[in-house]
Amino acid sequence: MGGNYHQLSLAEVRPGMVLSDVLLDVQGNVLLPQGTVLTDAMLALMPRHGIAILPIVRDEVTPEAAAATLQHHQARLAQLFRKNDPDSGSDWATATLRRFVTDFRLGAEETPEHE
Amino acid sequence: MSNAMLSYDDVVRTLDDLPSLPAVVMELLNSIDQDDVDISVLAKKVSHDQALTAKTLRLANSSLYGLQVKVTTIQQAITYLGFQTTRNLITAAAVTGCFAEGHCPGFDHKAFWRHSIATAACAKVLARQMRFNQDYAFTAGLLHDIGRLVLVSCFPEQYAQAIAHRAEHDCYLLQAERAVLGVDHVDAGLALAEHWNFSDTMRLAIGGHHDPEAPGAGFLAAIIHVADAVVHALDLARVQDDLVPPVSTVAWTALGLDEQIYLQLFRETELQYEEISMVLLA
Repeated sequence: MGGNYHQLSLAEVRPGMVLSDVLLDVQGNVLLPQGTVLTDAMLALMPRHGIAILPIVRDEVTPEAAAATLQHHQARLAQLFRKNDPDSGSDWATATLRRFVTDFRLGAEETPEHE
Repeated sequence: MSNAMLSYDDVVRTLDDLPSLPAVVMELLNSIDQDDVDISVLAKKVSHDQALTAKTLRLANSSLYGLQVKVTTIQQAITYLGFQTTRNLITAAAVTGCFAEGHCPGFDHKAFWRHSIATAACAKVLARQMRFNQDYAFTAGLLHDIGRLVLVSCFPEQYAQAIAHRAEHDCYLLQAERAVLGVDHVDAGLALAEHWNFSDTMRLAIGGHHDPEAPGAGFLAAIIHVADAVVHALDLARVQDDLVPPVSTVAWTALGLDEQIYLQLFRETELQYEEISMVLLA
């Protein structure tokens, strides 16, 4: 698959991502073939097979799609936190949580989330 | 219109009409502070309930506990996970199947459990960070809003009005409960905790999760309070008009965690939530 993949730790892999390579267990047995679309159930089984890192196909994200995802997350967070005034001094703990979750949704993740 | 306000005693009087937990689960809950429980007898009793056993074993075998072997009996689960953890898994499996769906227009039973399970997962991870008992945190997270199910089951029409009130005023459901019913899910949860003989630790957490600053609320209440807010913020229950509750600065400060830890907490919570909900909401 060209060089167009990256090694992601299990915690970073999300359902819907695609294996860029065949996945072997520690004994060398084939667990999943190349091109498998990963599901929750599969990911849940990984620790038992001693798998901590998976080769994942890099998504070709168009700038438009990335912008749309960003906007979607921002709008949703604004709705969930609609009772919080980020500038209010007394409600700073809620504002801090909001900032962390915003970083989590918008900062750390480079690929759009699969619903 | 039966719009009279309810009192705590009204709630207590209806508790006998609620479905009861399997006898063995009651026994487990009541023996939570005893050290001299005969484990093999309890394991045998649980094994008689096949549905309960199956759910418990699926939880035990989930990656939540990272067992290297697959446990196939309750006795084995106790051997590998310990008595405390297994007891909590049995409780979780029993409680999530205990309340019937339906009856209350506007109440989303599935969303309720999605939120509770996610809070349990988040509280467990938080407890690990704080070196607090993870089993207590998991069970308290699962049961923190259980009073809602009491109100929905016993007063479905009034609760439907509370839900409508919330939508109309876009306030917190807790405020709507107080305005329409006169009692809230914290009161009802405490009444049930009494009725079901929950331990004091669990009672304090249920009673204090919206007010962890109250004297004597305890540290577990602070953990559940923050876990509750995190789960709302992560949108795990997927409720369209969900609201993140105000986070207590006292509870937030008491946990004292930095952003890196929270980002890791968010990741772990999402992963574990997916897995547990597959077992409990199947």
